[in-house]
Amino acid sequence: MSVNVVVVGHVDHGKSTLIGRLLYDSETLPEDRLAEVQKLLEEYKRRFEFAYFLDSFQEELEEERTIDTTRVLFKGRDYYTVVDVPGHKEFIKNMLTGACHAQAAVLVVSAPEGVQEQTGRHSFLIHMLGIRQVLVVVNKMDAVDYEQSPFEQVKEDTARLLASLGYTGLTFIPGSALEGDNIYKPSANMPWYRGPTLIQALDALEPEQVAEKALRLVVQDVYPRAPDKLTVGRVEAGTLSRGDRLVFQPSGATGTVERILVYPGEVEKAYSDDCVGLEVAAEPRRGDVAGPVGSTPAVTEAFTGEVVLLEGTLTTGDVFEIKCATARVPARVREIRQRLSSETGALMEGDSGVINENEAAVVVFDTEPLALEAFSETPQLGRFVLVREGRNTGAGLVLDVSG
Amino acid sequence: MLDLRDLENRTLYIVREVYAEFKKPAVLWSMGKDSTAMLWLCRKAFFGEVPFPVIHIDTGYKFAAMYEFRSRLASEWGLDLRVARNEEAISRGVGPYSGDRLECCTMLKTQALKDYLEREGFDTLILAIRRDEHGIRAKERYFSPRDESFRWDYRDQPLEMWDQFQGLATEGMHMRVHPLLHWRELDVWEYVKQEGIPVNPMYFTRDGWRYRSLGCEPCTRPIESTAASIDEIVEEIRGTRVAERSGRAQDKEQTFTMQKLRALGYM
Repeated sequence: MSVNVVVVGHVDHGKSTLIGRLLYDSETLPEDRLAEVQKLLEEYKRRFEFAYFLDSFQEELEEERTIDTTRVLFKGRDYYTVVDVPGHKEFIKNMLTGACHAQAAVLVVSAPEGVQEQTGRHSFLIHMLGIRQVLVVVNKMDAVDYEQSPFEQVKEDTARLLASLGYTGLTFIPGSALEGDNIYKPSANMPWYRGPTLIQALDALEPEQVAEKALRLVVQDVYPRAPDKLTVGRVEAGTLSRGDRLVFQPSGATGTVERILVYPGEVEKAYSDDCVGLEVAAEPRRGDVAGPVGSTPAVTEAFTGEVVLLEGTLTTGDVFEIKCATARVPARVREIRQRLSSETGALMEGDSGVINENEAAVVVFDTEPLALEAFSETPQLGRFVLVREGRNTGAGLVLDVSG
Repeated sequence: MLDLRDLENRTLYIVREVYAEFKKPAVLWSMGKDSTAMLWLCRKAFFGEVPFPVIHIDTGYKFAAMYEFRSRLASEWGLDLRVARNEEAISRGVGPYSGDRLECCTMLKTQALKDYLEREGFDTLILAIRRDEHGIRAKERYFSPRDESFRWDYRDQPLEMWDQFQGLATEGMHMRVHPLLHWRELDVWEYVKQEGIPVNPMYFTRDGWRYRSLGCEPCTRPIESTAASIDEIVEEIRGTRVAERSGRAQDKEQTFTMQKLRALGYM
């Protein structure tokens, strides 16, 4: 099993350093990588920093900041895919690219600096992405002489911020990624702290229970193949069994699954995330979502979503292309219902006719017929990307399948 | 261990997205274990055939065993194999001994690919790179657009969320697709074993040496190893802290050589 963990937080609060420290202390790094980094630092006359294991672009080293997301794998009790993301506001799209598959987040807050702008924005964004498990590292404790009172202050401020987004009962870990305190190894510098190290806290995370759901299969393609056509798709929720009678939406095609093919053989059942071929006496299309008769996916021509915009502006009347699962349809902005601060998630006052780059809003869209579901029901069918001029310019979650 | 089924499913999904969304894809094959596993996964995605051309960028400096392996598999799997070479540079004498390695890699690999792509009009290339191979490769997207001059605009990579991959915005661009990005060296070997995928015999020990990563003969060094089977290779990788591509000269010639190569369109 492997857990996907994203490390978020404000610029220079130590995200890359923390991951570099985890890699170093867990002896995950190849030996020559260490030598390579040391050689680099001699060239650049720099002090050694663990962040250099992650920041592999020349510009990242020269500018001393993370530009794009990186993932690395290391082993604790389980395998962790740890995702490093940039802390600068201008790189939010890279942050979201890295964070969108995470099951858990580590929020890094600097002890001397406390809660800052991107602490809030990253917290809002991980909340919006539906990440429920969050651990907080109050980093750079070495810079406040490992004292308890600054830790308590940052803990209180961060807890208040996270509580406003619905996160409670969190673990706060005082640490120093630079010095290695309470990250991979326990620290002797803070006898007043009796809680877990970061790796212990990660190892203690319980996988989220997924409730048994009705089958949802997304159609990727239909291959012409003698004697019948072969529908290929991915099971997004529930279980697919040979003999199931399926309805494909929005095309309305209906048919019984005669065989489930996984080359070079066939299977009786397929489960969530399985990519399969179906022999089914029906003619579905790419973009269709299949469900069993009796629990057919709903088709809508209007829906309400929570959107974060990453490029350009979004105004009432604008037309975007919406991509949800394998469907691509044009959609018009009918109404911007609420504007949200992407820094705090709080409702914003004032003119609501337009949202700008890095802003968030609750938006009602009119679309061509589309099979989708609320994110809270079926996450895989409740998230979408906004495309303009061929570029992915925004992302959203479906709040309600009606307008 | 990572679940091979999860890794495989993700790759199948991506390869089928390529086939559904792009007009003229092709897959690059270097005859190494990763790109051979990639071909296997293409066959799996399309039920026994690779429905697009398989391109080998031939520098002329590959090991004899690699050319033998190429012929054997191309006929066994019925591949539409295309061999692309920069004949102009080869005849001019560009090679590993003629100047610096950056130039050799750029002319005999990147330029050869560029010329071939222009001539044949492919809009999408599937490549078997993995994040764990190199720090620069860890920064890649699954779908990575390149402009007419092959440049990788790594300062402005697309938003890529929830398997919603960006398409091509303008004419003349092509898409690099990396369906194995999330696999590790160890996972590939476990998968090769599970599926019985053929691999080049150079990966196994001979007189105490084996190749861990395959490239051009003058620029690839073997490692000391007693691993004579896939199981032994897996055991060896589990216990090592030496990087996979430590025998590959172009990775460490100079600082940031790999970034420069990739920015220019290197695979």
